[in-house]
Amino acid sequence: MEKIKIKVNGKEVEVSPGKTVLQVLKELGIHVPVLCYYEPLMPQGSCRICVVEDRGVLKTACTTPVEPNMDIKTDTPNVINSRKLVLQLLFSERNHYCMYCEVTGECELQDLGYEFGLDHFEFPTFERKFPVDNTHDFIMIDHNRCVLCRRCVRVCSEVAGHYVLGEMERGIDTMIIADMNLPLGNSSCVSCGLCAQVCPTGAIIDKRSSYLGREIQSDIIYSNCDLCAVGCGVEIYKKKGANFIVKIYGDWNSEISKGILCKVGRYLSLFNNKERAVGIRVKEEFGFRKIHEDNLVSLIKSKLNNAVAYVDGSLFNEELELIKELFKGRVYSLYPNDSPIPSNINIEDLDNSNFFVIIGVDLNREYGTIGSFVKRNVIGKKAKLMVIDKELNSLAKIADYVFNIKDINIALDILNKEKEVTIIYKNLTESERSLLLSLSNAKFLHLPMETNSIGLQKLGIKHEKISAENVFVFGKNLEGIKDLPIKNSFMLIFTPYEDEELHKGDVIVGITDWFEREGTFYNLEGRKVKKEKVLKPTFDVIDLKEFISYMLGKTERIS
Amino acid sequence: MGKIKVASIWCEGCSGCHMSFLDMDERLVELINKGLELNATPITDLKVPDEGTDIGIIEGAVATDHHEEEVKMMRERCKIIVALGDCAVFGGIPTMRNYFTVDDLLKRGYLTTESTVDGKIPISEELGKHLPKTKAVNEVVKVDFYIPGCPPSADAIYHVLREVLEGRIPKLEGELLKYE
Repeated sequence: MEKIKIKVNGKEVEVSPGKTVLQVLKELGIHVPVLCYYEPLMPQGSCRICVVEDRGVLKTACTTPVEPNMDIKTDTPNVINSRKLVLQLLFSERNHYCMYCEVTGECELQDLGYEFGLDHFEFPTFERKFPVDNTHDFIMIDHNRCVLCRRCVRVCSEVAGHYVLGEMERGIDTMIIADMNLPLGNSSCVSCGLCAQVCPTGAIIDKRSSYLGREIQSDIIYSNCDLCAVGCGVEIYKKKGANFIVKIYGDWNSEISKGILCKVGRYLSLFNNKERAVGIRVKEEFGFRKIHEDNLVSLIKSKLNNAVAYVDGSLFNEELELIKELFKGRVYSLYPNDSPIPSNINIEDLDNSNFFVIIGVDLNREYGTIGSFVKRNVIGKKAKLMVIDKELNSLAKIADYVFNIKDINIALDILNKEKEVTIIYKNLTESERSLLLSLSNAKFLHLPMETNSIGLQKLGIKHEKISAENVFVFGKNLEGIKDLPIKNSFMLIFTPYEDEELHKGDVIVGITDWFEREGTFYNLEGRKVKKEKVLKPTFDVIDLKEFISYMLGKTERIS
Repeated sequence: MGKIKVASIWCEGCSGCHMSFLDMDERLVELINKGLELNATPITDLKVPDEGTDIGIIEGAVATDHHEEEVKMMRERCKIIVALGDCAVFGGIPTMRNYFTVDDLLKRGYLTTESTVDGKIPISEELGKHLPKTKAVNEVVKVDFYIPGCPPSADAIYHVLREVLEGRIPKLEGELLKYE
């Protein structure tokens, strides 16, 4: 495309048309202060902080496209005074008194105050009292701190696709509301927390991370969430020099999730209240006796003959490979892990889909990130949605078609007429599988039951029930032990958490989990993603990878 | 350079700003050697500033009619008024009471607190009456310089006084400008 000529601060430059003034200025390395502008969101131009002068007229840089013969000036007295006045008005409208605010030191409004050298309020302030909404489990909204930039409203609709936040009234009376002015805790909010991540002030804050420290006091670790098979990118803020996590943010640069995170990854992953399995216990006549790790090594060596191992999808690839090596391939999966119809679409392709079919899974409750991709296209871009489920699905209210799984034949008639459909499913019966495979215009996205189901598939670990003299179980979810043929077997269980199935074991070993271990797994697209180790274990547990490497003679222990 | 007379008062504040003033330590002697003269400060325990004082420093928000009177007197007698600390500059913590009426405030303070037994609201004529709203100093009189911060650092106070003593207009920037 032909370039156009504009003047910036007196210098002539050539720029590509179609860009905004702000984008051009950024490329030229000229700092323009912003408040309501946030890169992943559509610009809105509501705060008027980014104004620049073009041939004597003030224009918002974030929403004005470049056009030929522009004469942009970024720091004339007119521009500076206008920005200062806006800031003064913002500071006076609600309670922006930094001293008793949680985000002081990490607030974009406060930073602007310093940038423009505001040392006092020019207009009277603290006139009105706005409500504070503390009804939500994880998020608090303090309307007194709100600058009405609507980043939260935009991120909730454009990016997360939930369309929960909105606004009511006008002018100074404008309020950010959830649904039809419901308390956030009673609204349709699914707790993805993106609003708190993008809020520039202390208006929407994560309750859990409040007063735990600032970004500059944290080490930021980029990792992937391993709580489901999506593997969203996360930014983990770990307090410097301490062994705890301040907060988790979605990573805007993640190729998988592009900033989105669900309730599980952002909040629930930090509430780890399950009782840990600690130490190494051996069953004796009157209960369990603790033994030392060295004794465990010799015990395992004596039991490796005629042994099989069962694993679940919570294990990382490296751990699975080592287990396979130790048991010479006699490794089986506790749960079925094959995809009835393998995925042939990436998560990012969902944005190009015009017709979604969701079978047997409520995306507001599970796989929240996939839910965001679907919802933002269905509500925002008017893609069609068909929900097929046994019970009431929370996505049914936005769906164009809702069917019971029994009526899948009728649904297929409709799907056959579409150009292309994207089918997102979790479990299928054999007949449903063959019906869906008859569709010639379908793309499939399988949501596996476990985090590393695809890894188990790739390593050829099948779901079989084999009886053996010695049975080893490695995993987090021990439900599957119930179905194992273990009547006369000697059983060793390696697990991170206490479980009622543990009484069946003859030896129980507590292992690391949560943010204490690292490794890679395959997400539902088959992409290899890495989870980083963030915390040191505070329990007497062993690291499975280290331990088995040692068993195999690959590493030596430093004692 | 001649003497520069400085007076200071505290209104509704915690005196932290005056503590910060004293935190200038030996630099206070340096300023005095340069011509700073303190008349009427909570530190010297003299309560009324001289006529023709050069700099009047005000700590604390304006919360009662007494404060209002004192602040206005400062304005009359001093050439330059400096609002010192977040309470004087923005209204500060005392403005949290603006969300309630004076009646509610007095009732809560003197009658209904958990530790109070048979409380009474004081009614002495000598006590200042609460204004309906706590104000920052610039809502009552014209202020020439602002030193925000809770408390402002001794460095910031020193910077302002030294600049005035040396005949320049002080400007707070960078680390010296803090709201907390």
